Amino acid sequence: MNDEELLKNEKVGKVLSPHPLSFMKYQSLCIFLIIWGILVGWFVYFSDWQNTFTDNFWLVLTFWGIGLLLAGVVASLVTVRWSIFLLYLGVFASGSTIVFWLGLQESVGLFASFYTVVFSIIGFLIVEWYRRSHKYIISNQRITFKGGILTKEERTLRYDKITDISAKQGIVGQIFGFGTIIPISQSGFGLGADESFAGGGIQLGEKKAKFLGFFGGGREVQTPRTRSYFELHGVYPYKEVKKLVESMVQDSVVTPYQQEQVSFQKEQVDIQKQMRDLLKMQSESKDEQQEPENEKDDDS
Amino acid sequence: MEGSPIDIVIFAPLAPILGVLLFWFIQLAFIESEKYFLDKIRPRHEPLCRFTNFLGVLFQTICHALGYTVTKSGISDFYISVNYGRVAPKKEKKGIFEWISNVFLFIGPFFIPACLLLLFLFFLMPGGFEITTPAQLIDWKYTFAGQINTFGTSLYAFSQGFFSFLFNIDLLHPAHFGFMFLMIFLGMGMRPSYIGEKKQEKVDMIYDLRNIWHLIAHKPLYLILLFLMSYVFFYISLFLDQNWYVALFSIFGWLSIISITSILIANMILLLIKTTDEIPSYWKLIPYITIPVSYILIRLLFFYFPVDFTNSASLLATILCTGLVTFLLLKYKADKFKTRIHIKLFKKKDKDEKDE
Repeated sequence: MNDEELLKNEKVGKVLSPHPLSFMKYQSLCIFLIIWGILVGWFVYFSDWQNTFTDNFWLVLTFWGIGLLLAGVVASLVTVRWSIFLLYLGVFASGSTIVFWLGLQESVGLFASFYTVVFSIIGFLIVEWYRRSHKYIISNQRITFKGGILTKEERTLRYDKITDISAKQGIVGQIFGFGTIIPISQSGFGLGADESFAGGGIQLGEKKAKFLGFFGGGREVQTPRTRSYFELHGVYPYKEVKKLVESMVQDSVVTPYQQEQVSFQKEQVDIQKQMRDLLKMQSESKDEQQEPENEKDDDS
Repeated sequence: MEGSPIDIVIFAPLAPILGVLLFWFIQLAFIESEKYFLDKIRPRHEPLCRFTNFLGVLFQTICHALGYTVTKSGISDFYISVNYGRVAPKKEKKGIFEWISNVFLFIGPFFIPACLLLLFLFFLMPGGFEITTPAQLIDWKYTFAGQINTFGTSLYAFSQGFFSFLFNIDLLHPAHFGFMFLMIFLGMGMRPSYIGEKKQEKVDMIYDLRNIWHLIAHKPLYLILLFLMSYVFFYISLFLDQNWYVALFSIFGWLSIISITSILIANMILLLIKTTDEIPSYWKLIPYITIPVSYILIRLLFFYFPVDFTNSASLLATILCTGLVTFLLLKYKADKFKTRIHIKLFKKKDKDEKDE
C-alpha cells in the first residue's frame, strides 16, 4: 500500500497474500488434466492395449474425450458447479478442432497427451497469477482487500463496521497452517446464500388430453461466502491473523462501561452548551438594556 | 495323522496366533522407528508431520466407524481433523458389541490400511496368492510344529511373490506407480497413535499397548470367547481336513508383512528428508530431482540397450544415484565431512607455528 493511500494516523500491521495451496480446488482441476494427459499417452503408446489404439483415430479421440467429460460431470455434480464440466468440454472441443484443422489424425494420441498437459500447465499459471493478484492489508484502522487480474477489485472495511467474523480451515489448510477469514459487515457484505430447490411434475391424460403441472419449493440458508478478494482467503499463519483481526475488532467495539462514560460526557457537554447559551442570552439582554440607556444619554 | 492328542487339541491352534503376534510386534517396532524419524524432522517439516498425523487419525476414525457398522450400532457423528477424530454411534450398545467396536478402534489401524494394499496387490501381482501345506508336513500338519510350518510356508510364498513384485516394479506403469505412491502414503499413516503438537504429548508403543491391554483386561471373558471361537474354527478345519485356520491367520501375517514393508519404505523417505535437511539452500532439492530424472534416464538407456531385469536394475541404479548425489552434496555443500579434515589442518598449522 502506498503512503498516499494511507489515512491520517494509519499504520500498516500486516500485508498478506493467499497461501500457494489455498486455491487447491482450481489447482486440482489442473492436476487431473496432467494425470489424464499422461495416462492417455501411456494407454495409447505403452500399455498392453496399444495395438487396439494403433491406427484407430476415433477410438483414441473418444477415449480422451470420455475421460475428460466423465471427470467433468463427476466434479460438477460433487461441487454443484457446471463450470468445471464446461472447462473440460472446452479442452476437448478445442483439442479436437486443432486435430482436424492441422490434420493430426495420425498422431492424435501424442497430441491429446501433450495438449492436455500443456493446457494444465497454462491453467496452473493462471491460478498462480490470480493468487498473486490478491493482497490483504491489515492496518490499525481498517482491512483493505485487493484482487483481480483484469478488473481490479478493492474493498475497505473499518473494524467498527464488522459485526461478525467467520473463519474456516480445510484439511489442507490444517496441514499447512492457512485458513480463510470472512469479516461480515453491518450491511451483510460477506454473506451468501445456499439455495436448495425441490420440484416435481405431474402429467394427466394418456393419449390426447394432457395436463402438465409443476410444483416445487425452495429454501435459502444464509452462509458466510464471498469472493476471494473480498475475504482474507487462505491467509498464513491462520491462527495469528485470526487473533489479530479479532483483537482489532474487539478494540474498536465500545464496551457498556465506555458507553456509560460517553453518555455521561454527552450530558455534561449538553449542560455546558445550555449554560453557554444562557450566558449568551444574558449577555445579549444586558447589551440590549445598555443600548437604550446609552441612546438616552446621547440624547440628553 | 501323527502327533500327540494334547498337541493337536491344545497347542496346535495357538501356533498361527503366536505367529501373527510375533509379526505384529515387529510391526510395532517399525512404527516406533517411524515415529522417531518424524519426531526428528518435525521442527522443519511441520506440515508433513501434520499430514501423517491426519492419515493416522483418518485410518483410526474409519476403523472405529467400521466397528460401529459391523456391530450395527450405526453412526450419528463423524468428525475428523488433523489432530483429532471422533465417531459417535447412533445406538449405544454395551457388552460384546462395544468390545468389538473397541477392537476395531485399537487394532484396526494396524491392518485396515494394509488390507487396501493387499486388495491392490491382488490385481497387480501376476501369480496371485497361494496358501499351501508343504508335502513333508501333510501327515502332521495339525500339530503345533505343523501349523507353524504351514503358517511360515504361506508367509514365505507370499513374501516371495510380494518382494519379487516390489523389486520388479515398473514406476512408468501408472498402476505400479500408484501402488508405490499409496504404499508410501499409507506407510506414513499406518499407526494408531499420533505425534502431538508438543513433544511431551508424544504417544508411543507403550500407549498403544496399554490401550490394548486395557481392552483385554477390562473384559477378559470376551477374549476367552474369541479364543474359544478360534479353537472351534480349528477343529472344524481339522475334521473337514481343510487347513482354513492357517489360511485365515496367514492373511493377518501377510498384512503385517505389507505394513512392515510400507513403513520401511516410508522410513527411507523420512531418512532422505532428514539427511537433505543438512544440505544448504536449494541444493537440498537435487536428491529429490535425481530420483525421477535418474530413473527415466536409466529406463531410456535400457530401452535402447535392452538387458535382463530392466526394472530391478533401474530401481537399484536410481537408489544408488540418489545415495551418491546426497553423499556428494553432503561432502561438498555441507560441513558434514569437511570438519574433520579442517580440524586436522588447523591442528597441523598450530603445531607448525608453535614449533617455529
